[in-house]
Amino acid sequence: MSFVPGLGIAKGMALTLRRFFEPKATIQYPETAPDIAVRFRGRLQLLYDELGNLKCETCFQCAQACPVECIDMGGFDTMGRFHVHWGAPEQYAERREKSALRRSGRPVPDPAYSHFDPVDTAVVEGILEKYDFDPRQMLAILESIQRTYGYLPVAALKRVSQVSGAPYALIYGTGTYYSHLRFEKPGHIVAVCLCTSCLVAGSSRIAGTLARELGTEIGRGSAAGRVDLKQLPSHVPGATSPLVTLDGKPQPVTATGVAAWARALAGRSLT
Amino acid sequence: MTAASILATPARFPRLLLPATPAQDPLDLDAALAAGAFASLRSAVDEPRAGGVIDALVESGMRGRGSGGFPIGEKWRACARTEADRRFVVINAYQADPAVLTDRVLLETNPYAVIEGAAIAAFAVGASEVVVALRAEAADTIQAVETAVTAAEAAGCIGGDVLGSGAEIHFSIKPLQGSYLLGEETVLLKGLEGRRGQPEQQPPYSTTRGLFGAPTLIHGPQTFAAVPTILSGGIAGFPETGAQAFAGTILIQISGAVARPGIAEVPFGVTIQEILDVAGGVPSPHKVKALLVGGPSGGILPPESLSVGFDHDSLETAGAQVGSGSIVVIDQHTCVVDLAAVLTRYCADQACGKTIPCRIGLRRLAEIGARICEGQPRADEIARLTDLSADIVGSALCDHERRATLALLSVVRYFRDELDAHIVRNTCPAGVCQPKAAARARPVG
Repeated sequence: MSFVPGLGIAKGMALTLRRFFEPKATIQYPETAPDIAVRFRGRLQLLYDELGNLKCETCFQCAQACPVECIDMGGFDTMGRFHVHWGAPEQYAERREKSALRRSGRPVPDPAYSHFDPVDTAVVEGILEKYDFDPRQMLAILESIQRTYGYLPVAALKRVSQVSGAPYALIYGTGTYYSHLRFEKPGHIVAVCLCTSCLVAGSSRIAGTLARELGTEIGRGSAAGRVDLKQLPSHVPGATSPLVTLDGKPQPVTATGVAAWARALAGRSLT
Repeated sequence: MTAASILATPARFPRLLLPATPAQDPLDLDAALAAGAFASLRSAVDEPRAGGVIDALVESGMRGRGSGGFPIGEKWRACARTEADRRFVVINAYQADPAVLTDRVLLETNPYAVIEGAAIAAFAVGASEVVVALRAEAADTIQAVETAVTAAEAAGCIGGDVLGSGAEIHFSIKPLQGSYLLGEETVLLKGLEGRRGQPEQQPPYSTTRGLFGAPTLIHGPQTFAAVPTILSGGIAGFPETGAQAFAGTILIQISGAVARPGIAEVPFGVTIQEILDVAGGVPSPHKVKALLVGGPSGGILPPESLSVGFDHDSLETAGAQVGSGSIVVIDQHTCVVDLAAVLTRYCADQACGKTIPCRIGLRRLAEIGARICEGQPRADEIARLTDLSADIVGSALCDHERRATLALLSVVRYFRDELDAHIVRNTCPAGVCQPKAAARARPVG
């Protein structure tokens, strides 16, 4: 509260008047291009959502796009798997590995990280040679690796990246996109058909019950030895709807009996 | 053989894709040659005028059998006119809809027509490589196509010296699996390049920049199989077999509450009622309550739509799509609101995650559907649903997200009574959803 009434507003208006004649900071983009150094790339920042959770879901797109490969990533993807990214040239592997792990804030022994030690990756070079070390054959290379090991060991993918020169992010992107490729050792596979006929017959409710009873979700990886829940790629010709298969064989499962069936299966396979 | 019955059609429905009388052994090349296979390829090779084949196709007015329905002559011309030292022809036989087997049956019963059509296309646009993209699960189909390609190569119909012309057309078979979206053409090309399957902005269309950056002609097997018929049967006769703008026939998979589910070849433009008659009609006590036309991302049409013609424009106007060419007849025991919610959820789950309207918009749309089914609708739920759908359609990158809104929108359009029963009265007339039970379980406050 000033002693002279109206002094505050006069001060404020004086400031406005002064600014009015000063040079403007606003640039009429895109009509006028801003003056930015050619190598300027902005500031990297990880964002948090309104609940305080990290928004980054470790999709590796930024690491893949980075032209100078200065982005390292370490963290959990949406499937709960832990991954670390290394660029194609591995000269700085040691440093990258350590820094990525340190920055991820995780202790080193990690269930997903332990994929690294027990796998013999010599066979990977044979596979790569068969496909001419060609990153454009990546899907076939990954399928071949999965046929050899039964799943995609992270160590093998790392080796593919190192030998073929394809960025790990690209290999990881292909590997996680296709639902028949997996990063875990396979257990029993329960598959639900979600074709239109089966959906009309109520297979989505069956899928929901199975997900609840088996403690997983369609497409989500599960720990070794447990039951994997998948979506059947196409209806088995001639089978009745709704269709549920166990390791590829159709099962006599109905909407009412599915909970008991799943419980029996989980009980059997978890022992 | 893929187990699927081919339905007998009335004599007035011409057979252009499936053989009228099933061949003893569809893979027997000598029998096929005697029946006229590769005759159109020979006349295309002997055609003295450059671009004559493409002109003939443009004149025929034939449009693709896929969900786009683009005039194929224009597509071929664009591909042929793009400067490039390497071109591809891709047969998209992936058929993403898990319930539909039409392309598989076509490739098993009439493989040489598809191979000939693709070879003509390759010859016309100057491509030397043809890629056949198939579902890896369809082992029988892969086997049949491999046998047919090997036989045709040995006979000199395709391969290093096509019918003595010196042109090279090499076929390769690529089994793919693991994603619903691979049916979309730009996604399929990504899959063939060994990358994660996400759609690309179009234009540039694949005819100018497709597989490995080269001009690529991509069609379904039904489109390729019709090409030899157009060229040999005369251009004039072809448009008369179907609705005015949609020359030719299409394979339809009919399932649900019909007497004889199976696959039928029908001309474009016949009414849905005529197609159901081919499948033996709807046996009592079943009644037609709704029709799911176009696969998981299709529209749900009311019984009044039985008089709608089966072609791209008519179905689009009615709120459905040709899509995978499937018709599921829904009887009175199914709740259409529940079905639409389930289908939207399915489409949301298949999203590749590239664009936000698809990844988040479809999820929100599926949640609206689920809330209505569970008896926990919020205020203005229908307005929110139509608003969000319009936003998704307006900002969509590929057809998957655009079509995924059809199910719920068609319920709003045609089944308003049933929808209102869920929202206003908390009841499900079909007795499928249990909205009341869920409403009681809702915590207070």
